[in-house]
Amino acid sequence: MRRNDPLSRLIDGLSSLKLTLLCLALLMALVVACTLAQVELGIHLAVERFIRSFIVWWTPEGSALRLPIFPGGGLVGAVLLLNLIFAQLRRLELSWRKGGLWIMHTGLALLFIGEFATALMQVESNMAIEEGQTKNSSEDYRRMEVAVVDETDPEFNDELAVPDTLLKSRAEIADASLPFKLRVRAYHDNAALSLRGPGDAPSPVTSGVGVRMSFQPLPPVSADGDRNTAVAVVEPVLKDGSSLGVFLLSNGLGAPQGFISEGRKWRLALRLRLYRHPFSLTLKDFRHDVYPGTDIPKNFSSLVRLKDPRAGDDRDVLIYMNSPLRHGGLTFYQASFGKNDTLSVLQVVRNPAWTLPYLSCLLVALGLMWHFGLMLRKSLGEASP
Amino acid sequence: MKTKRLQTAVFLGSLTLAAWPAVAPAPKSDINFAAFARLPILEGGRVKPLDSFARSSLMSMRGKQYVPVDGKSISATRWLLDAAFKPEAADTYPSFVVDDPEVLGLLDLASGKTRYFAYWQIESKRDEIQNQAAAADQIESGRRSRFQNALLALNGRLSLYERIKNTFMLSGQGDPSREMAELTGLLPGAMSAFHAKKPTDKDRRAMKALSELLRRFHFLAQVAAFKALPPQEGVPADAWMNTGEALSNPANAQAPHPSLALFALMANAYRADDAAAFNAALSAHAAWVARYRPDAARAARAETLFNTCSPFISGMALYLSALLLVFAAWATRHKDIAAAARALAWSAFIVHTFGLLARTLLQGRPPVTNLYSSAVFVGWAAALLGLAAERIHRRGFAVASACAIGFTTLLIAHHLSAAGDTMEMMRAVLDSNFWLATHVVTITIGYASTYLAGMLAIAWVVRRHVMIEPDPAASKALASLAYGVIAFSLLFSFVGTVLGGIWADQSWGRFWGWDPKENGALLIVLWNAFILHARWGGYARERGIMLMAIFGNIIVSLSWFGVNMLGIGLHSYGFMDKAFLWLSAFCALQLALMLLGALPARFWAEKRTDA
Repeated sequence: MRRNDPLSRLIDGLSSLKLTLLCLALLMALVVACTLAQVELGIHLAVERFIRSFIVWWTPEGSALRLPIFPGGGLVGAVLLLNLIFAQLRRLELSWRKGGLWIMHTGLALLFIGEFATALMQVESNMAIEEGQTKNSSEDYRRMEVAVVDETDPEFNDELAVPDTLLKSRAEIADASLPFKLRVRAYHDNAALSLRGPGDAPSPVTSGVGVRMSFQPLPPVSADGDRNTAVAVVEPVLKDGSSLGVFLLSNGLGAPQGFISEGRKWRLALRLRLYRHPFSLTLKDFRHDVYPGTDIPKNFSSLVRLKDPRAGDDRDVLIYMNSPLRHGGLTFYQASFGKNDTLSVLQVVRNPAWTLPYLSCLLVALGLMWHFGLMLRKSLGEASP
Repeated sequence: MKTKRLQTAVFLGSLTLAAWPAVAPAPKSDINFAAFARLPILEGGRVKPLDSFARSSLMSMRGKQYVPVDGKSISATRWLLDAAFKPEAADTYPSFVVDDPEVLGLLDLASGKTRYFAYWQIESKRDEIQNQAAAADQIESGRRSRFQNALLALNGRLSLYERIKNTFMLSGQGDPSREMAELTGLLPGAMSAFHAKKPTDKDRRAMKALSELLRRFHFLAQVAAFKALPPQEGVPADAWMNTGEALSNPANAQAPHPSLALFALMANAYRADDAAAFNAALSAHAAWVARYRPDAARAARAETLFNTCSPFISGMALYLSALLLVFAAWATRHKDIAAAARALAWSAFIVHTFGLLARTLLQGRPPVTNLYSSAVFVGWAAALLGLAAERIHRRGFAVASACAIGFTTLLIAHHLSAAGDTMEMMRAVLDSNFWLATHVVTITIGYASTYLAGMLAIAWVVRRHVMIEPDPAASKALASLAYGVIAFSLLFSFVGTVLGGIWADQSWGRFWGWDPKENGALLIVLWNAFILHARWGGYARERGIMLMAIFGNIIVSLSWFGVNMLGIGLHSYGFMDKAFLWLSAFCALQLALMLLGALPARFWAEKRTDA
């Protein structure tokens, strides 16, 4: 019955156990590499390089080459997922005896899909609130944006945020809401800022506090706790081509910068990417308890007031370790604290796929117990005839 | 019938032997050390008996729970009493283990003859150690050299010892009773000097003397190693105080803590070798604690009993004897010896279980809370599984594997206990009995079963090299046993790993962070899945499966201990230098065993051509 055309050969290959073993071995190698690399690269970059990639690239010391040397976690995971589905459909009959395998492999497939979905859709940010303060936004500490804010009306600011990905990929940014275009002269993920010395080369910057500054690009840092100082050199240009000045923007510069054009007041800023939420949290109390006579933390908790007019919510919520707040598709976790225990930092995560692992764990456990239970019964039957 | 009776006798006999320390009368001594050991104190965030603190301190300093002095070994409690009240004597005890040759060089001590040194031998270099340690402390923990790590460890031990010496009184100086009387005598004059517009010279002198005294008490309050004074009536239950705190506490002037005077009496009596006076003051304090803080007294008593029984030490001895008996049974093919070995293994397991349960009850936590207790639990679960498996295939392999793992893990636990209190308080993020009971316990059972499969596989390999007569049925039984255990461990390691992810989702907001500890757990799952798929696909037969099962030992060990040595990640427990050597040796041994198993059939003692 076996046909020998390329398609069935492909399906044969995709459903073969050899491929399963190959993928499992490759995955193990990637996991080991990712673990060891964390010492040097930090967890985030190591995961990006080995796991959340389709190809692992290698750049020999001192060259600009990028050589593909190993399949990445994404590729291996995708092949393993295909292999799982094909093998299941082709080789395993639907029967009570194989029921455990069906359930278990479904659970596994969900786990893989969940990890892919997380890689694609999860957005992490931080919300730092001081006691008594109310916030309706959180900051992404890994990504940047340039904010163009119309401050003409003191009551209400209109703003446009340009993400760092666009700043890096485009030379000019135009938007219908802006009477000018933003020309991007330079963008660096990380740099060292310093005051200009007398011997420095002439700077292209003509306006704002950046005139007195110079910067030296640095490789971006990724270890936990490290922060990048991004730098953008931008030039707002009117439709007729006349320049409104060249600005040096950085999240390392605190002073406001801006210009007035056609009677409207504009402010420019490079900042951590900001996410606004349709509800607000007010920190009423932050607690940091220790065990008596020690510095060992016993508990961190934030008592917040959640106000969401759309959902009709106006209530107190206690966020503490292992007990996050889930609201509006976001989850708020107690992450850190500061300012003598008056500042609480909440980790804000949007991950639509967060329930998949729960379901998957249940299915796989059930399937394995079913399958191995049958196996054990059979082997006990053999051992005592 | 005879066999049954023999089994019962071995079982009950060994249990009685293990329970003996709990019921044995305390050794005769003039000073009531046993009662002192039972006193509750607050240290490391929890109420514990002085005995526990003395044992774990001495364990961290010299790796043993006793010190040899003049040919006799003295208990940890007695050592602590000497350090607190007779430091000039305690300074001559060999309380510190120093291994590192470079540190020995720094201390001008000769290596070779002994690893144990007394405080007086080190004292002259104390400043040098302090300075070097301060420099080493500046370096990130993962990047320190061996010398720097050893030096930091020594510095920590020395300062713990110095803090113990300055807990009740200033390192054996002065007379605490007189100082207390002095304090009460000086107070009125000093107070009037403080309030008066024009204090008299006498009052002024009193104020000066008082401030000098208070300076000493403040110092005591800061350096004391633990808090020995339970809160008085009407004071919150966790407001324990050390001697310095109680003495410099303004409330002390009106209502001094009754035990302050008692500890002062104990100090003086102990220094004067007046056992009767010491015991009288001690029992007065114990009576006060029993009356006003009965819970603390009860908890401390229970924990002291547990320490005295040391079930994990007797368990270790029993496992080892059972293992040797199994070997004897194999060598002699005597049915009775095999039966006795099984009985002994069960009694070892019962003692182990008792210890595990007692710890769980004392701590009010699920059985696994730290690296130490994970070692205890891995051994327990593997022993249980092995004993259960033995009931399916009665050939002694499962019992032998169970005993070998039980013995080894308890030995590892014993060495891990040198890191400090084994019932330490849980840091906030780990403080969740639900997740400790589910994720941690399942994943640890996964470790245990993977080890059991590996151990059975080792038995399979060794058999082939020592057994002369072919017995394919035995080989097959071992292999199918190991296969069943691998399946079991896939279930537990998978569920445990995913539960860990779910816990992480609950506490850090990410299901899977690719943290080293998570990756280690994942590797175990992947490897077990790999073995099972290789078998189902027919790519590996009996021998292949066995060799892979041995490799499982390496993977579990790396994920259990190896990732802690990376010194990174949210789960890291701290860097362990010496453990690294042992881990490498263990992995090398497993590789050697795999090689032995992979040798072609003509190298085997058992001449067969299959597999």
